[in-house]
Order: sequence, then C-alpha cells, then structure tokens
Amino acid sequence: MPSATKRIPAFELSVVSRHITYRKRGTALSLAAIALAVAVSLTFVALQDGLQEFLFNIIVDDLPHVTVTPKDGDDYIHLYKSLIEWAWSIPGVVAVSPGLGTTATFTHKDNVENVEMLGVDPVEMDKIYNIAKYVTDGDLNSIHGGKRVVICRKLAERLKINPGETVVASFPDARPAGLVVSGIFDAPTGWPEDIALVSLSTARDFLNEGDVVSSVDIKLKDVYLADAAARRLNDLGYKAESWQQLYPEILRTLAIEGFQNILIILLIMIIAAFGIGSVMYMLVNEKTSEIGMLMALGATGRMIRDIFLLESGILGLMGGVAGAVLGLIFCLYLKSQVINMSSAGGQQVTLPVIISPWNFAVIVLTAALLSVIAGAYPAWKASRLDPVEAING
Amino acid sequence: MHEVTLGMNGTTEDIIVLRDLSKVYKDGVEVLALDRINLDIAAGEFVAIVGPSGSGKSTLLNMVGLLDTPTSGQILLKGIDVSRASPNERARLRNKELGFVFQYHHLIPEFTALENVMMPMLIAGKKESEARVRARELLVSVGLGERMDNRPNQLSGGQSQRVAVARALVNGPSIVIGDELTGNLDTKSSQLIYDLLRDLNKRINQTFILVTHDMVLAEKTDRIIRIVDGRIVCEMRRQGDEFVASEKCDLGEDGGEIRRD
Ligand SMILES: Nc1ncnc2c1ncn2[C@@H]1O[C@H](COP(=O)(O)OP(=O)(O)OP(=O)(O)O)[C@@H](O)[C@H]1O
Ligand SMILES: [Mg+2]
Repeated sequence: MPSATKRIPAFELSVVSRHITYRKRGTALSLAAIALAVAVSLTFVALQDGLQEFLFNIIVDDLPHVTVTPKDGDDYIHLYKSLIEWAWSIPGVVAVSPGLGTTATFTHKDNVENVEMLGVDPVEMDKIYNIAKYVTDGDLNSIHGGKRVVICRKLAERLKINPGETVVASFPDARPAGLVVSGIFDAPTGWPEDIALVSLSTARDFLNEGDVVSSVDIKLKDVYLADAAARRLNDLGYKAESWQQLYPEILRTLAIEGFQNILIILLIMIIAAFGIGSVMYMLVNEKTSEIGMLMALGATGRMIRDIFLLESGILGLMGGVAGAVLGLIFCLYLKSQVINMSSAGGQQVTLPVIISPWNFAVIVLTAALLSVIAGAYPAWKASRLDPVEAING
Repeated sequence: MHEVTLGMNGTTEDIIVLRDLSKVYKDGVEVLALDRINLDIAAGEFVAIVGPSGSGKSTLLNMVGLLDTPTSGQILLKGIDVSRASPNERARLRNKELGFVFQYHHLIPEFTALENVMMPMLIAGKKESEARVRARELLVSVGLGERMDNRPNQLSGGQSQRVAVARALVNGPSIVIGDELTGNLDTKSSQLIYDLLRDLNKRINQTFILVTHDMVLAEKTDRIIRIVDGRIVCEMRRQGDEFVASEKCDLGEDGGEIRRD
C-alpha cells in the first residue's frame, strides 16, 4: 500500500501534539531530563575543546615545531652553521635556536647536584620556548657574557645558592668551570627541574669541543608546515623531526580524552533518554484502552507505533533545543569567569571554553535520536496490543 | 497483498454471514466461547443480541467487528471472506466499513467532542476541513450542536456516549456494532440513543447489531438473537408490533426472559 506509507501523518501528529500540550507533567519531566543532559554535555564538550586548544597552543607557542638532532651514532651536529642557513631558507621560519646539552655536576659548598646543562643562544631560545618571562631573578641574556648560568629555582634551592654566588661545574672528561648564577627561573609546566642554561661557548669550553651543537630547534609561523619543513631537512641529510613525531604522547592524550568524553556524554544522554522511555512506557500503560479504541476505529499498529516514536523524538528534540540554550548560558558564564593560575607567575586567565555550533547540532540531534530509540520499546508494545484486551483495559 | 474490494449490495443481500464460527480461549482452561455459530444478517437489519452473562455475546461482536480472529469457521462481509485477513486489511475495514460503540465511550480526553468525532476520518487520511464539516453535522444530529468544543470530562455520560455514536458513524460504515452501549446510562438516555440509532437505520439503511441486557430496548429492534453458552438458542423477528419466534427457538431452556405477546 504505497499510498498509505506516503500519507502525511496528520492523525499521529495531532495525537502527539495533544499529549505534549495536555500532559504537562510527563512533558516537563522528559524535557527537563533531556535539556539537562544536553546542557551538561555541551558545557563539558566546550570546556574539553577549550582545554585541547589550550594544550595545542602550548605546542604552537612554547615548544619547537621541528627539532634537528645528531645523526644516529653521532654525539653532535657538525657544521651546524650551514644547517642554520638552510633552516632560515625554509619559508615561514620565525626562529632557529641551536643548543648544546650535556650532563654536569654542580657543586656549591657541601651541596652537589647533577644537572642538565644546556648551552643556548638566549634570544633565539626565547623565541621558541618563551622562557625569558619565567626568569624572576636576573636576566636570561646575562649568559651571553660567558661563565654565567641561569638555573631553575628548585635546583637553586637544593644547592642553597643565591644569585651572584658561584657554582662549580664539573664532569669526568670535562673542564671544570666556575659559573656565576646570574638568574633563576621558574620551570614552566612540563619542564624538568634540573636545568641550567649557559651560553653556547661556555658549554663548548666545558665539553672541550669545537664549533658543534647537539640540537637545533626551529619554530614556524604555521605549525602545520612542520612536517614539510622536517622532510626538507631530512632530504638535506639531517635528522629532523616535526612536533607530531616529537610529542606523540600529546596527540595520543588528546585522542584518548576525546574518546572518553564521547563515552561519558553518550552515557549521560542515554540515561536522560531512558527518562523519555519510561515516560512513554507509563503513557502507553495509561492509554491502553484509548489505544484499543483507536485500533477499533481503524488505526493500524504502525500508526500507533509512530505516535509514540514521534512523541519521543519531538520531546527529545524540544528538550535538546532547550538544553542547547541552557548549555550556551552555562558556557558564556564560564567563559566570563577569570581564574588565577597557581603556577607560572600567577597570571590571570579566562577558562578556555570553545562554543562550536557543530557540537550543538550533533549533541541535540543525538539526544533526539536516543530518545526515539528509548521510545521504541513502548511504541512497539503499544503497536502490538490486542484491540479487544486493550479496550477492556 | 491484495485489497479486498467490497461490491455494491442490494438491501436484500446478506451483509454478514457467519459459517460454523467457533472461538476457543486457551489461557489455562479452555473456554468454548462460541460454538459453531451460523448466522446471516441482511443489510439494513437492526439486530439485538441477548443472553446471559458469559454466553459469548461480546465474543461474537468482536468477531463480526474484526477485532478478534475466530478459532475456526468463516466470516463473510459483503460476500468476502475476511476471517483470515491481514491485520492491516482488518484495520482498514474497521475504519471504512464498521462503526463501534462500547459500554464505555473511550473518547480521547485531550480532544474536544468535535475532534473525537473527526478521528476516524483523520485515520482514513481524509482532509481535516472535510472531517470537521462532517463531524459537526453528526454532532448536531445527535443533539450536541452546543457542546462540540467541550472535552469529554466536561460532558455527561449520556452526552459522551452520543459523541461516541457520532464517532462510530462519521466514516459512513455499513455496519454499526454496539456492545452494551447504553449499559452505563439511565433509561431516558438509553431510550434517546436507541431512538437515534433506529432513526438512522431507517433513514440510511445502515446495519446495526447491538448487544443488550435490557429487553425493553431489545424489543425496539427488528430481530432478537439469543445466545446461551456460545450457541444461538433462539431467534425472533418483528412482524408488525409483535415478535415471532423462529422454528429453532427453544424457550424452555432458560426461563421466559423473552416475552411473547
Ligand atoms: N480473553 C479471554 N480469555 C479467556 N476467556 C475469555 C476471554 N474473553 C472472554 N472469555 C470467556 O468467553 C466466554 C464468553 O465471554 P463474553 O465476554 O463473550 O461474554 P458476554 O456474553 O459478552 O458476557 P457479558 O454479558 O457479561 O458481557 C466467557 O466464559 C468468558 O469468560
Ligand atoms: Mg460482554
């Protein structure tokens, strides 16, 4: 009966709209459950997206996009000046920072600590890591003068050393050197606490090496050019890796958290949809004799089923839209909140909240779809009622 | 799936034919609710079915109304065997050919009297404007022209039952079935509804089959069929102002409930 399937469901819709408008308690209950779930999910997603962007911005702003390291088997990158020239020739490069890292033993009075000593060009390094702003006592550029060191605050505390005092750096095979502490910095989140920054030449003297470096960090204007840049340097015979290769754990964390969040949101919404399902179930029970009468009047099982499916879907959609409005209000409120960061110089930041229309659409439609699924059992049950038994209650 | 198309019928043709119709209920103990019923009802007949409680009157009506399926035997509606029709086909026939009124009105509480009457037309997919006009006419003819926009909880039992009657008639069914449709009403309301149905029956030749316990009402019909234990035990037909028992009438079996003047 093709004509029957294409019929506009005016009858079903009229019954649904009456149920929704006249049965205020059931409607309010269903709408509240879905609206709340959608609002919470949206807020959750907006915060999560904000956090992801926040993490991503750390990569973009405070980490190198490409890092060149010595070839396998080598300790150092030789002839690094031509590498730096090559690097600068790549379009979109904004910083190229050579570094020479080594382990050293720092001794101050009776205190001995092993440290990661890193020889750097303070200007270029700052362009990549934005480290200068973390230096509280003294100045990063002071290491230019040679025989100076800027150390992490935790390290300074362990060595019980103050700015202006001298620490002795030593290591087997290295040339011991006295270094004046010319600055102390707070380690940015994720940095080790045993870092000491010196000039490139100080590091070379200590290692008794010539014109070598152990790494070259590169920053680009567009973070997505990193792979291409790394490939180009690889083609030139260097060992270069992009941030995607360097920090796979960050990408993984983002992916895993994204998956977990989808699960949590689905769970919240399934629970809310169950609310609609149980409201529908009660409705079917309460309306059994009316359903039987409608069947006597010629309503097919399919029409009866569609009434309850439509009702579930419409309630889900209405609840979803209400939830979207509520969620938007939550998000805007959170976005307006200013919080004080406990670390890193106590900056004031706003909560990272990203309001995406795409997320709103997907979550609202998911809520409607889950509601229809939850309404399927009561709808099926109603459609299978025996008219005689139903009429007699 | 083919659609049963019902042919046009003369008034003399049997609109309902039951052949050896039996119904056995099988939950726990077996109950033989109908026992090989044979019955012919002509188009335009006004029939009452009477009998003691539990005798199978409702079961018989539900079979004829295509609300239930027989265990064995045949139901012919306008000459077509509908006893094994598909659920959708039965729904379509209930909508087009049959009108139902039960003891309780079963009006939908969220709809007004008018909208309740329109319901079978909307189920049929007819235009709302058309349904509204037709429903209005019918409500006027059952004397509820003033209460069309009232919801069922604002109507009395008798008024609600008249709305239910209008609803049963709205699609112009050829057969109207009433199962104790005045069972909940006082004598005056019952009389009113019977007179209304009788009037419709005379005017547009619709077939009415009514189950009743009330012999005064039964005697307003043309034919009284008495059922006991799932069998037709007695049939009487009106001749003028009198009822004449057919040959198979065995009144000795249970009391003299049916008076023979
Ligand atoms: N769904 C059912 N399951 C089991 N037995 C049933 C069912 N419906 C009816 N019966 C039995 O079938 C028999 C006929 O019942 P039916 O309802 O047709 O009687 P009735 O003549 O309409 O009685 P009443 O005048 O009390 O309405 C009874 O014995 C009844 O108990
Ligand atoms: Mg009965």
